[in-house]
Amino acid sequence: MLAASVALMGAGALIAPLLVRYLGRYTGYPLALIFLISGVLLLIDAPEVMSGATVTESWQWVETFDVEFTLRLNGLSLLFAVLVLGVGVLVLSYAPQYLDPSYEVGRLYTVLTLFAGAMLGLVLAGDLILLVVFWEITTLSSFLLVAGSGTTGVWPAVRALVITGIGGLALVGAVVMLALRTQTTNIEQAIALAPEALTATDIAIIGPLIVIAAFTKSAQLPFHFWLPGAMVAVTPVSAYLHAATLVKAGIYLLLLFSPLFTEVAAWHITLMGIGLATAVFGAFQALRQWDLKSLLAYSTVSQLGTMVALVGVGTSASLAAAALLVAAHALFKATLFMLVGIVDREAGSRNLADLSGLWRAMPITAGLTGLAAMSMAGFPPLVGFVAKEESFYAFLDTPSASWTADQAWLGVAAAAIAVIGAALTLAYSARIFFGAFFGPLTQRNLYEPSWLFLAPAVVPAIAGLVLGVAPWLLNGIIDRTSQDVGFPLVQSDLSLWHGLSVALGLSIIAITLGLIIHFRRESLLRWLGQDTPRSIAPEIFDRIWYATLDLGARVGRTAHSASVGVQLSGVAILLLALTVGGFVLIPGSTDGLGPVLPDVMQPVDVAILILLVPAVILLARARTAIAALVLAGFVGLIISLWLLLLGAPDVALTLLLVEILTVVVAAPVLSRLPAHRGLGSSTRAAVSAVVVGAISGLAVWVFTGRREASSLSDYFLAEAEGLTGGTNVVNTILVDFRGLDTLGEITVLFAAALGLLAAGVITVKGRGEGVLGQGEQAVLRVGSRVIIPLLLIAAAVLFWRGHDEPGGGFIAGLVAGSALAVAGISGVHVRLPRPRVILALGLGIALASGVLGQVLGGTFLEPFKFDVPVLGSLTTSLIFDLGVFLVVVGLVRTALQRLDGLDSDTEEDEHHHDPDPVRVLP
Amino acid sequence: MSLAIAVALLTGAGTWLLVRGGAVRLILGFILLGHAANLVIIAAGGTDRRVAPIVDGSTPLDAAADPLPQAFVLTAIVITFGVTVYLLGLVARIAKKSPSSELEEEFDSDDEGVGNR
Repeated sequence: MLAASVALMGAGALIAPLLVRYLGRYTGYPLALIFLISGVLLLIDAPEVMSGATVTESWQWVETFDVEFTLRLNGLSLLFAVLVLGVGVLVLSYAPQYLDPSYEVGRLYTVLTLFAGAMLGLVLAGDLILLVVFWEITTLSSFLLVAGSGTTGVWPAVRALVITGIGGLALVGAVVMLALRTQTTNIEQAIALAPEALTATDIAIIGPLIVIAAFTKSAQLPFHFWLPGAMVAVTPVSAYLHAATLVKAGIYLLLLFSPLFTEVAAWHITLMGIGLATAVFGAFQALRQWDLKSLLAYSTVSQLGTMVALVGVGTSASLAAAALLVAAHALFKATLFMLVGIVDREAGSRNLADLSGLWRAMPITAGLTGLAAMSMAGFPPLVGFVAKEESFYAFLDTPSASWTADQAWLGVAAAAIAVIGAALTLAYSARIFFGAFFGPLTQRNLYEPSWLFLAPAVVPAIAGLVLGVAPWLLNGIIDRTSQDVGFPLVQSDLSLWHGLSVALGLSIIAITLGLIIHFRRESLLRWLGQDTPRSIAPEIFDRIWYATLDLGARVGRTAHSASVGVQLSGVAILLLALTVGGFVLIPGSTDGLGPVLPDVMQPVDVAILILLVPAVILLARARTAIAALVLAGFVGLIISLWLLLLGAPDVALTLLLVEILTVVVAAPVLSRLPAHRGLGSSTRAAVSAVVVGAISGLAVWVFTGRREASSLSDYFLAEAEGLTGGTNVVNTILVDFRGLDTLGEITVLFAAALGLLAAGVITVKGRGEGVLGQGEQAVLRVGSRVIIPLLLIAAAVLFWRGHDEPGGGFIAGLVAGSALAVAGISGVHVRLPRPRVILALGLGIALASGVLGQVLGGTFLEPFKFDVPVLGSLTTSLIFDLGVFLVVVGLVRTALQRLDGLDSDTEEDEHHHDPDPVRVLP
Repeated sequence: MSLAIAVALLTGAGTWLLVRGGAVRLILGFILLGHAANLVIIAAGGTDRRVAPIVDGSTPLDAAADPLPQAFVLTAIVITFGVTVYLLGLVARIAKKSPSSELEEEFDSDDEGVGNR
């Protein structure tokens, strides 16, 4: 039921916004129920896992790359999945009581559920690509949740996103490398094949990448600083993401991939070194915090360091201890965060300087905090104590790992540092408890919160006690986990009392030392000095950040110029350099080109050139905008004539219509502009023009007309009719073969039209003021009664026959657009939906025909032929072409309306009494 | 060769108009460069076969023009129209904002604003 479980979480994220509409902040309760059901679905498979099997569910996903959507449940993923969903249930039933009634809960609940689903997917992912996808979703949802806490949250959220984003890229790198070398993206197979497939160099690349991914996510030195920053998020988010789950993803990753590095000493040394350093550093930082959430954040950094170091030891016992610590930490840290939230709500502060003697007012809260803090501090009989004992034992036993050469000092050193970490942990744990709950009660009117508020914290606090007294309950899952990370099955014997062992001795030392530190905290900190362990990493991050932005601005500035001319002549120079450089540096670069084919140039071309050359020269020298526009239209006509002669009737027709419409649309705009003077230097313009013109002409002469028809051309000509039923090959390419291209192109048109619409009414002319005088309009108006219907009939015919003969959606749309232009010029009012409706309808129909193809045949935009009586063979690509038609009509109408003030909106003109409306569409 | 000459002419004139500056020249230059680019694509398909690619049986297939560049050019023309219209919208907006005599200067100073951002 793995997929059902993940899918249910996805569904939860989808319905969360709906629930919020009705339930507001109480949405947490139904969501907690969804988490619970999802957990139950997962636990259905748990007995099978505990009996040693791995449950796998798999679907084909990206066929081309042989990537499968694989979910698998083994001991390791079961442990993490239970934490994700279990703590999720608690936090979601806590949130409704914690959140302020005025808090914007929609985003919080949606993203929180999305995150939980992604986190669940991450630990269940059986495929490398899937792992990366879920990993990134957790990063993004963490960003949204932190940034969602208002303006104070934005910068910490950005830091966290950049840091963990770097880690995500590193993970992509590692995964791609691993997949390439092992030729599979299945995680189990990749890890199994890795010893043979990976060379030492591969390991030296993959290892650091995985370490960076894990260290950024799990807030290890020097990337740790994003985690305390993320505390600006609301407490449920801190408790869930930044204590119990998200930050454990790095630990999960290290556990998952540790079998690759069993014999790699550098891996173990890095993990142990950085992990222990982070453990001690984080604990020191926690000791100096006053804000309880910051204290807990640094404590999390510290505990994560211990987990990393335990994975680094690389023995069966150390991995078991790491797994145990993951579970224990989730229990006590989630509890503590929730309780700090309660204190914050009840006492109005979470700063130790403001809090005192709270146990007198809130004894139950105090008791629960004490229980969780004792577990964190490693006092018996709590699960934290068991975890601590196991880790001491594991650190001492480091020399038994296969990567070490029996260096006994390594174990002693690691254990000693771990003891210091544990002592500091005890000291700050004691400080939370004694600082907030002991001493004189300074505030009045404080009460115990409601049971509903406390209950979510009670469950994990009690669980920590139960698992501490009966740790053997965890034997099975812990054994299975260490087996999953590549160790033979050993029977763990977790127990509260191991007799008088060395680990017990270390525990006693740690507790004694911790108590001394607690009572001598002030002098210790004074001795350390205020600034000593303060990290400079955030400042370095900020400096790199701003330097990068600055560099970007400086690079960008070189491409900017006050004058269009200067910018564009740069392009000319680059073109010249590329061409000359290409010819000079690559000798024989044109050797493979054959001679120009005989028929490439034909007599008719000369006639065209005789017309074209003077027209273009006159255009370039034109002194008024209108003269230039008329000449531009003339140039367009010559070229469309040429296209017709070159065997491209569809293109010729399109260009002809576009030229007409351009003149209609542009004339009113340009006629208002003054005679244009040349602004830039004419020398520069002349040089640029000659260089660009000569190179382009040369390139066309050198590279074209020297080969027979391309194989694609032959293919389309031979297959078009058989495959599509259309004989106009150009149209079949547009709507059948390359429909997705065309969809992209009409989206561009759609965007251009939207741009015009968004620019507001920008008509140059006043309302009701036509292009023509009243008399001329009257004549045209009579004529238009004939012309407009004729054009519309022509459009319909062109549209209908487009698949077989010149025509189609583009051309028909332009013809219909011309009808609108005629109507506009002659002052005839046309009733049509508003442009944005036409545009949206067009794009919608085109997309819908794509979906239709998906439904009918399996691929987006795949056309289908139907035999319809009377009409003959029809194809669904006609629907697509209708979308094209509508987008083109919408664009033309937008242009006429916005640029010329012609053909204005019907709604706006209801009162405007038009004497002669022509109804075009029903 | 004929298309090469036309392309040289059109890109040359288009560049001239663009580099001289001014809103109207910008639009006209853009239109000419559009023509040039379309002719380059048509030329790439070869201009030795000049029969329309309509396969209704009457066309000898080995004489038919390459349909693929035609499809590209067809959509390119419509997109050029879309962009031209958009450019015109920008010009019209500027013209409305400022007295028409200052249009060209206005256009340039706007450009400068972008450069310094």
